[in-house]
Amino acid sequence: MPLFEKLIESVIQGEEGSVRECVQQALSDHIPVKEILNDGLIKAINIVGEKFKKSEFYVPDVLWSAQAMKAGIELIQPFFQKSDVPPLAKVVIGTVEGDIHEIGKNLVAMMVEANGFEVINLGVDVPPERFVESVRAHQAKICMMSALLTTTMPTMKKIIEALKEAGLAGRVKTMVGGAPVTKQFALEIGADGYSPDAPGAAELAKEWIAG
Amino acid sequence: MAIGFKSQCVPTYRVLTEDQIKEIHLATLEVLEKVGVRILDEEGIQLLKEAGCQVKNENVLQIPRGLVEESIHSAPSSIQIYNRKGNEVMQLGGDHVYFGLGTDLIYTYDLKTGSLRRSCLQDVVNAAKTGDCLEEIDFIASFALAQDVPTNLMYIECFKALLENSIKPIFFTAAGAEDLSVILQMAEVVAGDEARLREKPFLIHYSEPTSPLSHSKSAIRKLFLCADKGIPINYTPALLAGATGPVTLAGAITVANAEALSGVVLHQRRAKGAPIISGFVATTMDMLTSTAVYGGPEFRLTHSACTDLYHYYGLPVWGTAGASDAHCFDQQAAMEATFSILMGTLEGANLIHDVGYLGQGLIGSPATIVMGSEIISYVKRIRRGFDISQEQIAMEVIQKVGPGGNFLTTESTRRLHRQEHWRPKYMNRDNPDMWKEKGSKTYGERVTQKALEILETHRPEPLPDSVRQKLEELIKKAEKSLMGIKFVV
Ligand code: B1M
Repeated sequence: MPLFEKLIESVIQGEEGSVRECVQQALSDHIPVKEILNDGLIKAINIVGEKFKKSEFYVPDVLWSAQAMKAGIELIQPFFQKSDVPPLAKVVIGTVEGDIHEIGKNLVAMMVEANGFEVINLGVDVPPERFVESVRAHQAKICMMSALLTTTMPTMKKIIEALKEAGLAGRVKTMVGGAPVTKQFALEIGADGYSPDAPGAAELAKEWIAG
Repeated sequence: MAIGFKSQCVPTYRVLTEDQIKEIHLATLEVLEKVGVRILDEEGIQLLKEAGCQVKNENVLQIPRGLVEESIHSAPSSIQIYNRKGNEVMQLGGDHVYFGLGTDLIYTYDLKTGSLRRSCLQDVVNAAKTGDCLEEIDFIASFALAQDVPTNLMYIECFKALLENSIKPIFFTAAGAEDLSVILQMAEVVAGDEARLREKPFLIHYSEPTSPLSHSKSAIRKLFLCADKGIPINYTPALLAGATGPVTLAGAITVANAEALSGVVLHQRRAKGAPIISGFVATTMDMLTSTAVYGGPEFRLTHSACTDLYHYYGLPVWGTAGASDAHCFDQQAAMEATFSILMGTLEGANLIHDVGYLGQGLIGSPATIVMGSEIISYVKRIRRGFDISQEQIAMEVIQKVGPGGNFLTTESTRRLHRQEHWRPKYMNRDNPDMWKEKGSKTYGERVTQKALEILETHRPEPLPDSVRQKLEELIKKAEKSLMGIKFVV
């Protein structure tokens, strides 16, 4: 099987070891990093995304593919600067203060990571200051907030305001989600975006970065 | 006839054999002893250390099996629950089955418009009235989330609404120990004082550990508060197999059981003999939509196993039924409610909540409560079974009527038809013409009609004025002390 075909198949099957081998091989064959990324890893994960949309793949399948892709990215990341590949856009994500619901937020984090982002996961019960600090420290492009309680939803507004106050408004986009969160609510609090589920969140993040 | 022949046949069901129960129990003990549980509260850690638990790392503690067994033994095997007026109404334990409502639903499937909207305090009032009126509903709960009330007072106002609109026992949640302590003060006012509330509790607090294998600070503080005051607490995890627990049902059951039993240990160490209702829910996360499934078949299997385990432990056990993943009151809602109520009843869970839940724990529907009440009634008829005594076989009557006769006019038909034959309240048994004449209504329409009628006509017994006044005062004080503060999570 040609190398790229094998690489793509390995990502689809979620075979981390095989992905590493293929990427190593490609590197020693002097294939440009950009090519490995775009025509190999990203192409593969897009196929996985399609399969998920058609219900051929389930969430665990997608997450395995994502992990396999991440293993590949880790190998090529050191060469990004030397080639003309921009560094991965960074995303800060957390469940807001007062809220310890974790699963949905982690799923979003994994899906976003699977789509070629570097994710800084702050965990649960995260106060506004920590969102702001983290966005600033990592120069994150996107700040993602999850809330599963109607009682903690208002904190999202506080975080958006705190980001503005910190002068980060134009530099970071904000996205909100979680079972009780609606598009309408996102609009009201001035969030840049909303998604009802994890794949949608990743989709939107990609759109934003593509410009 | 054989000696010791029991003439009453009662259908029951269990999923685990005694050997299988022991297998899961041993696996649970191994998880507690080797993997341990994460305790996010200093007082909780201290208490377990003193009880002989090893600190595995930082806040993960390993619980020795002796301590688990000891706590199972010290917890009461039966808990008497009263109503607001001090009458005995629920004996939680054994295979007594009681049904009631759930808490905290963000949306309401509106009775009049048939569409979804955000829940408000009036929906809590409506749920209380509905539960109060329906005889098959044994206990009430907020059902809706009062989103028109300031956050820190939400659960306090809900509790007041429940007190004012029903005399039935109250199953309730709180945001933290902060508002819980106000709610307990309110309950003391209703009962008379702290001692009388302890003696005749008409309320059960509901708090939960976090899967996998964690106890939040807030959950432990609520657990301890109830233990100290002798208030019955329902401390039970909701695990999602494949996400917050193993994907296999046996693995999910084992982990959830370890969470529940570590709660029993914490509780009994804090106050030996204090009342606790235990058990767990171990359902699946849907692997396509990544939602928490409320109406799936695995939910029923794991819950039947849970009930078998807690019957074996001799501890009162919690349950969930009458709930659905459907987003409106439709055929799916009916199907999932029926299966769950049937299995919950036959397995013999004690405190079965969530009747009327839709949309995977996000939507409340009063009409679904009414439907649930009829399913409960139906299923309880099944569970009552029938008698095979000589009189019931009715040999004499059979001889008397003989071939070709009719049984309609016999004395036994007249005397026994009411007790032998179950009667539906809202289900259709009319002939086609009669059905047309009555407006060709669907079951859903009739039940919705009934739900509306209850809200219009049912008058719950009010609280005495003096009590109401004292509650108002407590709430005023709480407004000052709780507004704007951050609760511990
Ligand atoms: C940035 O952009 C984005 C974009 C999309 C985003 C996003 C961010 N974040 C999420 N998404 C979206 O993508 C994800 C994947 O597609 C989705 O994420 P979800 O998180 O929705 O989906 C998960 C994959 C699966 N779903 C879940 O994990 C949540 C399921 C339900 C049943 C639930 C669970 C499991 C839990 N709970 Co809680 N819990 C409920 C939930 C009912 C429900 N159906 O939602 C809900 C949310 N809880 C509720 C309550 C009341 C509570 N809970 C509490 C506790 C818990 C557990 C700890 C027991 C447990 C969480 C365990 C854990 N490790 O996370 C308490 C609060 C604790 C706290 N301070 O946070 C407590 C207050 C109960 C109590 N009195 O103790 C209700 C909310 C009421 C309200 N106020 O709004 C509730 C609706 C259930 C109910 N009706 O009672 C989307 O929402």
